Amino acid sequence: MATIAFLLNGAPHQCEVSPNTSILTLLREHLALTGTKEGCASGDCGACTVAIGEQNADTHTFTSANACITPAHQLQGRHLVTIEGLAKEGRLHPAQEAMIECHGSQCGFCTPGIVMSLFTLHNDLTQRPAPLTPERLEAALGGNLCRCTGYRPIRDAALRMNDMPYERPQWQDAALSTSENDAEITDPTAKTPFFAQPLSLAALTRLRQEAPQARLVAGGTDLWLESTQRLASLDQLIDVSRVAELLTVEATTFEGQPGWWIGAGVTYTQLEPLFEEHFPAFAHLLHRLGSQQIRNRGTLGGNIANASPIGDTPPVLLALGARVELASVKGSRCLALENFFLDYKQTAMAADEVVSRIFIPQAIERSQLRVWKLSKRREDDISAVLGAFSYRIEQGVLHDVRIAFGGMAATPKRAQAAEATLEGSAITADAFRAAQRSLDEDFQPMSDVRGSQHYRQQAAKNLFERLYLSLSAPDREVMLHAYAH
Amino acid sequence: MRFDSPAEQNVSDRMKVLGQPLRRIDGPLKTTGMAPYAYERHGVAKDQLVGYPVGSAIAKGRIVSMDIDEAQASPGVVGIVTTLEMERLPKVDWNVAYLFGGREIQHYHQAIAVVVANSFEEARAAAALIRVEYEEDQDATYDLAAVRQERLSDDVEPIDNIGDFESAYASAEVTLDATYTTPGQCHAQMEPHATIAQWDGDHLTLWTSNQMIEWSRQALATTFDLPAENFRLDSPYIGGGFGVKLFLRADAVMAALAARKVGRAVKLALPRPMSANNTTHRGLTIQRIRIGASQEGKITAIGHDNATNTLPGGDGENGARATRRFYAGENRLLINRALEIHLPESNAMRAPGETAGLMALEIAMDEMAEKLGMDPVEFRIINDTQVDPSHPERQFSERHFIECLQRGAEVFNWASRNKAPGSRREGAWLIGHGVAGAYRDAPAETSGARVSVRPDGSIRVETDMTDIGTGSYTIIAQTAAEMMGVSLEVVNVDLGDSRHPVSAGSGGQWGAASSTAGVYAACLALRKKIAERLAVDPEALEFSEGYVRYNDQQTALSELASAGSITAEDSIEFGDFRSEEYQLATFGAHFVEVAVHATTGEIRVRRMLAVCDAGRILNPMTARSQVIGAMTMGVGAALMESLAVDTRHGFFVNHDLAGYEVPVHADIPEQQVIFLEGEDPYSTPLKAKGVGELGICGVSAAVANAVYNATGARVRDYPITLDKFLDRLPEIA
Ligand SMILES: Cc1cc2nc3c(=O)[nH]c(=O)nc-3n(C[C@H](O)[C@H](O)[C@H](O)COP(=O)(O)OP(=O)(O)OC[C@H]3O[C@@H](n4cnc5c(N)ncnc54)[C@H](O)[C@@H]3O)c2cc1C
Ligand code: FES
Ligand code: FES
Repeated sequence: MATIAFLLNGAPHQCEVSPNTSILTLLREHLALTGTKEGCASGDCGACTVAIGEQNADTHTFTSANACITPAHQLQGRHLVTIEGLAKEGRLHPAQEAMIECHGSQCGFCTPGIVMSLFTLHNDLTQRPAPLTPERLEAALGGNLCRCTGYRPIRDAALRMNDMPYERPQWQDAALSTSENDAEITDPTAKTPFFAQPLSLAALTRLRQEAPQARLVAGGTDLWLESTQRLASLDQLIDVSRVAELLTVEATTFEGQPGWWIGAGVTYTQLEPLFEEHFPAFAHLLHRLGSQQIRNRGTLGGNIANASPIGDTPPVLLALGARVELASVKGSRCLALENFFLDYKQTAMAADEVVSRIFIPQAIERSQLRVWKLSKRREDDISAVLGAFSYRIEQGVLHDVRIAFGGMAATPKRAQAAEATLEGSAITADAFRAAQRSLDEDFQPMSDVRGSQHYRQQAAKNLFERLYLSLSAPDREVMLHAYAH
Repeated sequence: MRFDSPAEQNVSDRMKVLGQPLRRIDGPLKTTGMAPYAYERHGVAKDQLVGYPVGSAIAKGRIVSMDIDEAQASPGVVGIVTTLEMERLPKVDWNVAYLFGGREIQHYHQAIAVVVANSFEEARAAAALIRVEYEEDQDATYDLAAVRQERLSDDVEPIDNIGDFESAYASAEVTLDATYTTPGQCHAQMEPHATIAQWDGDHLTLWTSNQMIEWSRQALATTFDLPAENFRLDSPYIGGGFGVKLFLRADAVMAALAARKVGRAVKLALPRPMSANNTTHRGLTIQRIRIGASQEGKITAIGHDNATNTLPGGDGENGARATRRFYAGENRLLINRALEIHLPESNAMRAPGETAGLMALEIAMDEMAEKLGMDPVEFRIINDTQVDPSHPERQFSERHFIECLQRGAEVFNWASRNKAPGSRREGAWLIGHGVAGAYRDAPAETSGARVSVRPDGSIRVETDMTDIGTGSYTIIAQTAAEMMGVSLEVVNVDLGDSRHPVSAGSGGQWGAASSTAGVYAACLALRKKIAERLAVDPEALEFSEGYVRYNDQQTALSELASAGSITAEDSIEFGDFRSEEYQLATFGAHFVEVAVHATTGEIRVRRMLAVCDAGRILNPMTARSQVIGAMTMGVGAALMESLAVDTRHGFFVNHDLAGYEVPVHADIPEQQVIFLEGEDPYSTPLKAKGVGELGICGVSAAVANAVYNATGARVRDYPITLDKFLDRLPEIA
């Protein structure tokens, strides 16, 4: 047990919590604040959505998070807003008022989570006024399941709340004057539970060396499921989410290539602007990765270190020729990403290392990136197959072809035979057919609930068809947009 | 009071509060997080401990041994109850699988132990330490298709065998013989099953999440072999049920056993990954439908042979149910083969039988219309019936199915639909339109309530009726406000407590109609009591604006009750005329437009319309909410929902919300709902019927028909995912 200090609905709060306690358990069990619900404990339903506020310079942002898979210790120095905090002196927040008016609540179990998602949207809209596009609305609400209402009333509420009078209450901008704790573990060999929150890479790597048995946690959106779904105890944790060096994005040149070093602890939400500008196809993928709540917490480093064969970013990073930097007390080393993934959930990272940064080379002129994620549901779903294609076209001929897939092997993996087939060839139906055939050399996928072996192999081949169509008949729409109208 | 003849003009006809589109009275509690759900009632019992359940890792067989030593020694553990400590606990008939006790394993994730600890984390960690050795039955079967094939020649007693189906079918001018499959579906209600249990001697209180308070009290009496009076259940707020909380479930039994063992209150929630296999699901079906008709489109023969999975003693999902009554046709052969398969318990889910049945029947109707070269709306109209085809002596009390179709066609602009399948393109998209009919019985059940006028002039209603998101709080308050002539704000409704009069509960689409009728009866009793006090004829009393008016006099309700609350209790019992002389049902028509991507086959639902004929609508807002929610579930069933069966090990693989996909915001388009004006005096004194289940009936088939209309590729195997028709998409020019 260790003490954490944070703001709870505008008021300073301190309590003792064990490392493996989630924000949801803290609220519901320890603080008897039961407005926040648990529908799944796996980040899938959004019933547990809370808002986490962070004060930076002059802005005060609130982002939504799944309390069920966020460690309570990560609240240290932050502002936690829960459903209980919104209404003050009997005055409901516009999100609440609009939900009542538009009949956005039936059984009511999803409702607190939905109200909190709307609260963060409302806060965003009032701080940074911008049109509430359907895409923005869907992003804000995509991580909240409701089995009763049919969703449209909730959407109506989202639109309605903006017309309601609102005066930003002072408690929203309350600040906490507390230093963040950089926990030291005195005796890492002892079997004591701890939640260490180093602030520098040096402190992180030292901890990693002293306590290699401890688990690293970034956003927790993968790790925490081991606790809630597979009953692991997770009682020794090192949090990478405050390590300064891991939170930066730096435009620079590496090994002669211009590009960006991206800290492993940078979240998807933080990456969005960069990708929107330089890799729109990658940004588009981010919109379909998990939900807003997940994107607000999940990190690029976590996605890579997790080494899941169906993680979304690794195939894209492989296609882009990304490098990964591993750091330890001895220093750091850099690997091509394909050399990082060894086997199913096995990586080249040593027990005393961490993923510190990822280098993404800037796209060279005339190169293109295409990313297609195939999943059953439009929103909030894991890929069955994901294909990423990077190439350059010069006088009708394909160069620098790099293709990688997720969901096709034990690791995210390049399709080297298919790449070789396309490299230097013209954009012809024959060339793409040949590439489809060579995919059989590259992959023998497996069958599971998300797709049979046959489906995966076929779908991956069809993505070559899609690429061919998009290159040979550019005016034909083969890239699907969210809306059918 | 008894309801022995059709309702005449009565107080409820005033419709000052009833029938109005009023907001839910529980809205503020729910949007502020203050509505208390089962697992979070810290205040009701002191020193609550936490239970964590353990489920069986095999589907059929027995437990050889369990090693709990390590778990017992784990930090914080207070006690462990295992299934080996007791004989199999008795159950009532409406539960199909046993809930706890004994060595036998009937299904995967059957509850076999519960660990009780001081904290949730400790209980969970200890649960992971229990070691179980099983002996698996090698003869178990988990594959519905295979078992059906083997047992097709079995003699099964038909549900209906009217006329001579085989020869009528053989001689029909136009025929269809097609087989449809629907997968297992999961209720996926947002609130997991949860219970807090506390014993006081041999009296048990359960704060739980249950749709049918009295059924569960009776079930507890059987399971624990104690009088029903010894049990109290309280379920004021229920985070969704859709049928999965109709019966006593393992969460309540385990919490009760654990609380008894450790002598303290214990709370327990079924973890989401355990729900799908531990509780119930909508059974899988394989439905062969044969329809014979004349060239003019009159159905002469209709055959519906449904096969579904069940554990011993159940009916599974009886897909032939709606076919009994929906369409005319003199020769009828309807069969339900409830096949014993060792998957978890298949049992009621929203419109049990009708949902899966209409998923098939309403595609068949579409296929048949096409064969006949008819408009599918017209084909349905031609085959409408005003009598129950399975009992032609019984009339439908009210049946306006034709109006539903016609009104819908008009509003949806059906005339300008795509007529030739696969022929309408808008940019990258193929556009298609589909229609389907909806049918659901409108049963009613005995339902009671207690109503009081309190000294402050407010009205309090108490009944064990539940609100599972349906809006019971609101429509019950409306009923009482109407009957007692007060405004909605002064009505206070208390639900879900077994100390209150027994109601119909929430199930089978009977809840709203029955429970409001029960409140009506109790209000009449209260009015009578007030009349007695005033020594006037109750007929001469008028209740309005918080006053009782009679013979030019008026008295405020608060004054009447100034010396103490006046309370009356009654229940409504429905006479046999309702079911014997008439068939009561609800009807609807669904119209759907979809877009299917011409290259990739991805499907988007673009607009939906439902027209419903469900008697008097007590609150158009809550009724509409019910219907659009059900339509959404219907879209899920059409396009994505499917419990994946592991036919080797006998369980549902995708047993969480990551794997079992339900629709999300982005999947659901504009939905329009129209209720036909009307009332059904044969149904209840309020002339109302239910809508909550009607809303899902037929929706999936309307989507399926629209996908066919868009692409020209017929899929008879739900859910309709693009891999099932990709190779049949029209050639891209
Ligand atoms: C509902 C839901 C939906 C999801 N949808 C998607 C999806 O669509 N696509 C997708 O790809 N993923 C998805 N995920 C998975 C997850 O969100 C991502 O993999 C995410 O990137 C993980 O990042 P994190 O920061 O949360 O990692 P964590 O959970 O904190 O960590 C993941 C693993 O990486 C390790 N780790 C973390 N940081 C480092 C580091 N710097 N160095 C070394 N090891 C480290 C941890 O020890 C752990 O083993 C989803 C998850 C949920 C719960
Ligand atoms: S409880 Fe479902 S997302 Fe957290
Ligand atoms: S209101 Fe019941 S889940 Fe949304």
